[in-house]
Amino acid sequence: MSAMFSQNPLMNGPNYSFNQAPATASGGNTEHSFYPYTDNGGSTLAISGNDFTIIAGDTRSTSGYSINSRYSPKVFKIGGTTSSQDDANLVLSVVGFAADGEALKERLDAIVKMYRYQHGKPMSVKACAQRLSTILYGKRFFPYYVTAILGGLDEEGKGAVYSYDPVGSYEREQCRAAGAAASLIMPFLDNQVNFKNQYIPGSGEGHALQERENIPLPKDEVEDLVKDAFDSAVERHIEVGDGLQMLIITKAGIEEKYLPLKKD
Amino acid sequence: MSFQIPLQAQLNNNHTIRKHVLLGITGQDFTLIAASKAAMRGATVLKAADDKTRQLNKHTLMAFSGEAGDTIQFAEYIQANAQLYSMRNGIDLSPSAVANFVRGELASSLRSRKPYNVNLLLGGVDPITLKPSLYWMDYLASLAPLPYAAHGYAQYYCLSILDKHHHPDINYEQGIKILRMCTDELKRRLPIDFKGMLVKVITKDGIREVDYDDSARIDCP
Amino acid sequence: MDTLVAQYSQPMFEKENHGEDDQMELYQPAPSLSLKFAMPPVAQPSAWLRAATDDHANPNCPIKIAHGTTTLAFRFQGGIIVATDSRATAGNWIASQTVKKVIEINSCLLGTMAGGAADCQYWLAYLGMQCRLHELRHKRRISVAAASKILANLVYSYKGMGLSMGTMCAGVTPSEGPALYYIDSDGTRLAGNLFCVGSGQTFAYGVLDAEYRYDLTEQEALELGSRSILAATHRDAYSGGFINLYHVKEDGWVKHGFSDTNPIFWKTKLEKGEFSNVTSEMV
Repeated sequence: MSAMFSQNPLMNGPNYSFNQAPATASGGNTEHSFYPYTDNGGSTLAISGNDFTIIAGDTRSTSGYSINSRYSPKVFKIGGTTSSQDDANLVLSVVGFAADGEALKERLDAIVKMYRYQHGKPMSVKACAQRLSTILYGKRFFPYYVTAILGGLDEEGKGAVYSYDPVGSYEREQCRAAGAAASLIMPFLDNQVNFKNQYIPGSGEGHALQERENIPLPKDEVEDLVKDAFDSAVERHIEVGDGLQMLIITKAGIEEKYLPLKKD
Repeated sequence: MSFQIPLQAQLNNNHTIRKHVLLGITGQDFTLIAASKAAMRGATVLKAADDKTRQLNKHTLMAFSGEAGDTIQFAEYIQANAQLYSMRNGIDLSPSAVANFVRGELASSLRSRKPYNVNLLLGGVDPITLKPSLYWMDYLASLAPLPYAAHGYAQYYCLSILDKHHHPDINYEQGIKILRMCTDELKRRLPIDFKGMLVKVITKDGIREVDYDDSARIDCP
Repeated sequence: MDTLVAQYSQPMFEKENHGEDDQMELYQPAPSLSLKFAMPPVAQPSAWLRAATDDHANPNCPIKIAHGTTTLAFRFQGGIIVATDSRATAGNWIASQTVKKVIEINSCLLGTMAGGAADCQYWLAYLGMQCRLHELRHKRRISVAAASKILANLVYSYKGMGLSMGTMCAGVTPSEGPALYYIDSDGTRLAGNLFCVGSGQTFAYGVLDAEYRYDLTEQEALELGSRSILAATHRDAYSGGFINLYHVKEDGWVKHGFSDTNPIFWKTKLEKGEFSNVTSEMV
């Protein structure tokens, strides 16, 4: 069984079933019975623009080679006043272990809601980003097995994306891909969003070539990039597919889009 | 049943091997080879004036580090074969020919039941073109011609210095000066005493030992 | 047996929904950067954590934590230079090329980040908080010695739990002048003139030691700091990205850019003829 579930060529890592401990660990006593993690696959992606942020995630949930669900969202609105989250202004995406992701989302949502209740104003992305970091670090010795991305609009109305590691180190970025297909999507984003390794033709010879100027992309172009990124990831990664959920944050609110992805 | 005297715990792993320092630098008309003088076994220095080099022919010198025993056996085997070639043919192998011969020997040994565990630097000056050359080779028989090279912990400290200060057209004095920067850094930062360096230079006139005084005390800033 | 009975004789609903601690968390106006951490319910949390997160001890560990770095700082006649690269790696994956490894604790104190990114970020933020509290309580700024000792004592109290950090605190105070301390998660705390920390440290030491003098000019010092990081990014695969340069002076720190290594490398090679091992010749 373990041999069957241990091949993940891209992340070079195993896919754990519920009670499988990691095969090897050096250094004295290792607990083999307690291993409350599994990887549910999937991928998420966030890109910020001048006056918007798009956070997207596929909706497939897997364990090993089995598909558990074709619609299990990874992207959540955070901190609205109602359960429908219609007036939320923040978006959290979580990928990795779905149960930890769910727990993290619930916890952050409760905290952001309490903040609104106590302060009489919605939480800024900057504040929420710092808070999320301390939440994750609070479980430094028993981590949430998730890669989180937080998105919203900053105080100036500009798009903001904050990305995290499982124990809470964070950084504000233009764009970030996370999860199973991060290694497929991130290089594409570097090239298409930050214009990495793009040079102006004829601007010089060899090392004198000038880099292409970085300009913020318009919303519809970013939407197309997100779709292309996921269509490509679905072609080459077994844990990504079924549906694409996209949350688009602008000052008008959060628009949700759902697009089908290949189901095989 | 026989009694056994424990000679040495299995200590001769990579860690011990890496403590040996090998450095090589090429310049416009010479190649410098430097090797640490300490012969170590476990926690003991057995000899403080060890020569970890062998002359293969008039213009080629090989420095070696690695598994005790393997090093000298392999080096002297190569030395004998290089000399045999010179005697039979009345002409020396060029440094590049020697390097590729050594690589071939080490590569076939690697695929035998008991491979030689030896890291090498080969320095030479081609007697015909007068071009200096330096070849880096590890125990897996990967061969690379380089302007400067190092083995063991010296790699971590010296390569960045050489990256900055080396130029292909340096003269002998500049070469020694850069070598001094490297050995000073090793004395400053390595927690082990490798008992100074034995330095040899290869020029078109052959190989000679350099009078290299590194008795000065170097402190951390 | 008694513990078993106690465990199963509790009312079934008690652990449902939020626990008391969780609820308290919601009522606090601001979360304290607290010393309360969730622990895995096992006999040896640290061994468990190592199996789950330490990719050195267990290369197949499921949770990859960002690692790998070159950072340096040195004292000279004009203050302190602090320089870092900007790469974060998780195994072989480059997680980010734009990490800010110099943490601005306050206008006169800098911290550097090597080891676990989250550990450094969190505990240096905590240190910043303690420094501000010291200011409010004592009506003067904390000394670098005291600040570094807060951090050293803190990480020492977590020794063996799996924290991983190698950090430097650089700052200027009226009482001490420019001061530089090295602190790591083993509990080591050293004052000194020159430190390099991280997987690329030896390469940085090589360049830095060769030309370091206390009476360097400001321009020379900045150039040497940045060249040492460049050397490390060239030889250490776990270092790269951008060079982050700071200068700590009497009246606080000044930032001297966050510059891409690639153009700097080619400029250094082509204009000064360094890095002669990099050739386009086919051999």
